[in-house]
Amino acid sequence: MDRGLYIAASGMLAEQVRQDQIANDLANATTAGYKADRTAQATFGQLLLNNSVTGAAVGSQSTAVQVTSVVTDFTPQPLKDTGEPLDFAINGDGFFAVQTAAGTRYTRNGQFNADANGRLVTLTGDPVLGRNGRPLAVGADGKVDPRALNVVNLRDPRKQGDNLVAGTPAGQATGQARAGALEGSGADPTQAMVDMIASTRAFESGQKVIQTIDETLGKAATTVGSLN
Amino acid sequence: MAAQQQRLDGVANDLANANTNGYKRVRVGFADLLYERGGRPTTSDAAQLGTGARTIDGGRSFEQGNLRDTGVPTDVALEGPGFIRIKLPDGRDALTRDGDLQIDANRRLVTSTGATVSPTITLPAGVDASQLAINRDGTVLAAGRAVGRIAIVNVRSPQSLQSVGDNAFVTTARSGNAAAAPGTILRQGALEASNTDMAQAMTDMIEVQRAYQMTSKAIQTADQMMEIANGVKR
Repeated sequence: MDRGLYIAASGMLAEQVRQDQIANDLANATTAGYKADRTAQATFGQLLLNNSVTGAAVGSQSTAVQVTSVVTDFTPQPLKDTGEPLDFAINGDGFFAVQTAAGTRYTRNGQFNADANGRLVTLTGDPVLGRNGRPLAVGADGKVDPRALNVVNLRDPRKQGDNLVAGTPAGQATGQARAGALEGSGADPTQAMVDMIASTRAFESGQKVIQTIDETLGKAATTVGSLN
Repeated sequence: MAAQQQRLDGVANDLANANTNGYKRVRVGFADLLYERGGRPTTSDAAQLGTGARTIDGGRSFEQGNLRDTGVPTDVALEGPGFIRIKLPDGRDALTRDGDLQIDANRRLVTSTGATVSPTITLPAGVDASQLAINRDGTVLAAGRAVGRIAIVNVRSPQSLQSVGDNAFVTTARSGNAAAAPGTILRQGALEASNTDMAQAMTDMIEVQRAYQMTSKAIQTADQMMEIANGVKR
């Protein structure tokens, strides 16, 4: 069958992935320390087309569209003042280190709590690590000195859900921890809306291509062979 | 959208309690959900797709509310972190920051909802409220004689306390047990106002509404795309 049919369908599938990513960004538009994603699309393998009579090259033809990666934008976002003693935000680059059951993870969501043992924990109950690599204790006044929090740089950070990020630590970060503030979400609603419209239209174009090819095939099936 | 709705419930509760003595506003946290591999059109593990957002319980914000002078001798306000220990009518031990105390028919000190101050403080007969003096450390004097002491306690993790209504909280395994809070003082003749910040609650509400609206747009768009996909075959 005409290969254009499959190329158009792959384009529609790729747009659907982009739509899923935008929906996730929008759902997290108020998640503190959330980082927005970008979907990267690329062409699938290229075919070199030859003129079947002369053998001269005509040019290349792409066979499909693929989503190569979803890239996370880790740019620091504006801080929001909350006045909560156990809310922390990083002004600049870096991540808070958190001890989880799966090993050390990192986060930029500094909405923390105290647990029954007086340790500083995330809202999901994982202890937050200090500069010495051990869990931090909350003071008798219910506060923690933001300078005691470990703020580290990460190589290849990857989002894991629950506001956590996995990666390889790469030394102290330049960012400063601040108490009484949270980092805003990195999801840009205006950008998401525009992307969503663009994505829908691209999806629609894919549909039109399929319809047109279908029409052509229909002509080939009914008109070419008819005798009147 | 479900997550935003829960947050709106929290804000609505805060606003409804803007005039409740000793009320502490709700702290709502958000988290992104698990990331999964993209499936067919994605070709590498680097293409991870998120699956949405959820709310996480952040407990209460125990920021000090403003103290309001009432001049009523049985009103007390806590200055600093901590709670007054009370016994609920059903026998459970609980904590409260609502110091709107009263004297009941049995001459005991009770909260406005009928929970007794624990340990129980009974006033001797013939002493009325105007002869009552409550010291900064909680000692209650009736006509100059000490009759008991209001226990001022705190827990390791106040955010993990469970709210049981009527301004009362009970301890949980996560909050730790109640222990004396020596740094906190009682002020007689005053009440602690709610710590709901009206301006903050209003801006939160606007934010919630817009986030809700935009997520609903994402649903609409997904629906539209499915309609287009259905339109492939005419």
